[in-house]
Amino acid sequence: MTHLTLSNICKQFAGTTAVEDFNLEVEKGEFVSFLGPSGCGKTTTLRMIAGFEVPTTGKVTIDDTDITYQAPNQRNVGMVFQAYALFPNMTVAQNIGYGLRIRKESKTAIKERVTEMLALIHLEKKGNSYPHQLSGGQQQRVALARALAIRPQVLLLDEPLSALDAKIRVSLRAEIRAIQKKLGITAIYVTHDQEEALSISDRIVVMYEGRIEQVGTPFEIYNFPQTAFVASFVGTLNTAPAEVVDPAKHLLKIDGVQLESAEMLEDKHAGDKVTIAIRPERFNFIAQERKANILDCQIENITFLGSVVRIQLLIGSNRFYMDTFNNPFLELPKIGDKAQITCSREAVLVLKA
Amino acid sequence: MTALDEKRDAPLARPAPHKMSWAWLGVMPFFLFAFLFLIYPSSTIVVRSFQDSVTHGFTLKNILALFDNHYILGAYWISIEISLLTSVGGGIFGFLLAYAAIRGGLPSFMRSSLMTFCGVASNFAGVPLAFAFIALLSPTGLLISWLRALGYNPYFHGFTLYTFWGLSIVYMYFQFPLMVLIIAPAIDGLRREWLEASENLGASSFQYWRYVALPILLPSIMGTMILLFGNSFGAFATAQALTGGQINLVTIVIGSQLRGDALGDPGLGYAMALGMVVVMALAITGYTVLQRRTERWLR
Repeated sequence: MTHLTLSNICKQFAGTTAVEDFNLEVEKGEFVSFLGPSGCGKTTTLRMIAGFEVPTTGKVTIDDTDITYQAPNQRNVGMVFQAYALFPNMTVAQNIGYGLRIRKESKTAIKERVTEMLALIHLEKKGNSYPHQLSGGQQQRVALARALAIRPQVLLLDEPLSALDAKIRVSLRAEIRAIQKKLGITAIYVTHDQEEALSISDRIVVMYEGRIEQVGTPFEIYNFPQTAFVASFVGTLNTAPAEVVDPAKHLLKIDGVQLESAEMLEDKHAGDKVTIAIRPERFNFIAQERKANILDCQIENITFLGSVVRIQLLIGSNRFYMDTFNNPFLELPKIGDKAQITCSREAVLVLKA
Repeated sequence: MTALDEKRDAPLARPAPHKMSWAWLGVMPFFLFAFLFLIYPSSTIVVRSFQDSVTHGFTLKNILALFDNHYILGAYWISIEISLLTSVGGGIFGFLLAYAAIRGGLPSFMRSSLMTFCGVASNFAGVPLAFAFIALLSPTGLLISWLRALGYNPYFHGFTLYTFWGLSIVYMYFQFPLMVLIIAPAIDGLRREWLEASENLGASSFQYWRYVALPILLPSIMGTMILLFGNSFGAFATAQALTGGQINLVTIVIGSQLRGDALGDPGLGYAMALGMVVVMALAITGYTVLQRRTERWLR
């Protein structure tokens, strides 16, 4: 059942379009991430759901109720801010209970809910501490509890982990996801960190220059990027200009080397120029006889990245990367060696213009 | 000798020999200045407050006279009244002005213009300030002349520049700019996310001010008002130039005691000055404590 709907949302600031024709339906209990570079309109969209910005055109509905022009304090939407935004003059317990106090709930009800929330974020003993006495990770957990305490219809998270160090980010994102699943709350999460979005979301909305580039599950976004931007933004991807040789047989050519793709090319004609994309981990050195997708290359560089070894290759005039798992018995070519690599036809993606 | 010792090619770290730093020379003028114009005069005030003006022996007579003499107590009371009025009035007006310029959505040039004006006005005191107000608000002043031409003479309706209220208006001229200058960083520190978080949790603008913004700013506002109190309490030249000693302020009474007039008692003057030092010290301590509290919150 659709819980949150954004229909034809546009937002302009002094003639500049921040968000353009944004359409999205979010199911109840779904965790959706807005992913994109700075200035792509993801935070503006989130702020329109919260009511801090009013769309220039379009409609925001929650459970079929139009909230487009409702004031922020009239919406039952919880928000977690990038810089926590905890009230420094209040204790942790007072911060969590603030929304309930505003709603004039009884002292007993507030106390019970605050205790419940403190247990949820594992900060039972910090109720009387002030925000400045907590670490960044603890402060963000309090901010999450404060947003959840009012039992919001939708939880909005605006880059909540960007101010934290890498290790805390990983553990806290898992905690956020676990709490969201436990409460079954609909969540919209804004991030520019692709790894974060891929690991935490049910669906990802990739945005670029105010527009949606692609909506899909993390699996779809990573493995089947539909546009050159998604391909370049999510993960590492080799892209190269190619020419369609035989659309019926899915044959393409890069620098004279023929490649077979699994993609449908019915709308293409022989000689059409396209862009192909191949993930580095989809390449292998040729271990046995193969008839298709054999690429002659020269090794340009080899970099150890811990569990992965990244090999820089030159195929014709195109520079590609190939990733292979690191192990102590791995036999690698030397820099300057000539080699042959291959990939499956499914690995060869043809990007939309 | 161990292998480790053999491999060591640098000598063991040892404390550097203690050397007198030449950097001290750079701050010497400051310390000299502080000694000559702060420590020495303050010490003199303390010593002479407990010294008999004739015999130069130790006495508590001067201190006790502070609490015994209605004229002296009256002077303290008027000084406290005028300081309270101008610190609270100037404080509130200055705060509203600063908030309007910083958060009121006014063009940015308004803020820089206001800050420049306040920087100048907060230091415009003493005889020039008194003269400026005489030129403007005395019975023959510019503004009063204009009002008279329009058929309204404030002096016929009880207004006089040379009274308590007139002096309060003059003091306000340097009090509110000082408030603007000091409170501006605190208002800058009020984060937009706090307002948004408060609204997001269902609060109205009034509730945000009542529960979040005002409690955060209050130590800073109170601290600055204490500073304004001290600023007004210690003012001398403006009142002397404007009223010629008609208003019995502590600073004016001290002046007349120390000048050696026929009725002057230097010992009592020093004791009164000690009282002022105590009031100022309390004001500065209160300001520092409250300012630290705000800084912790607005960090």
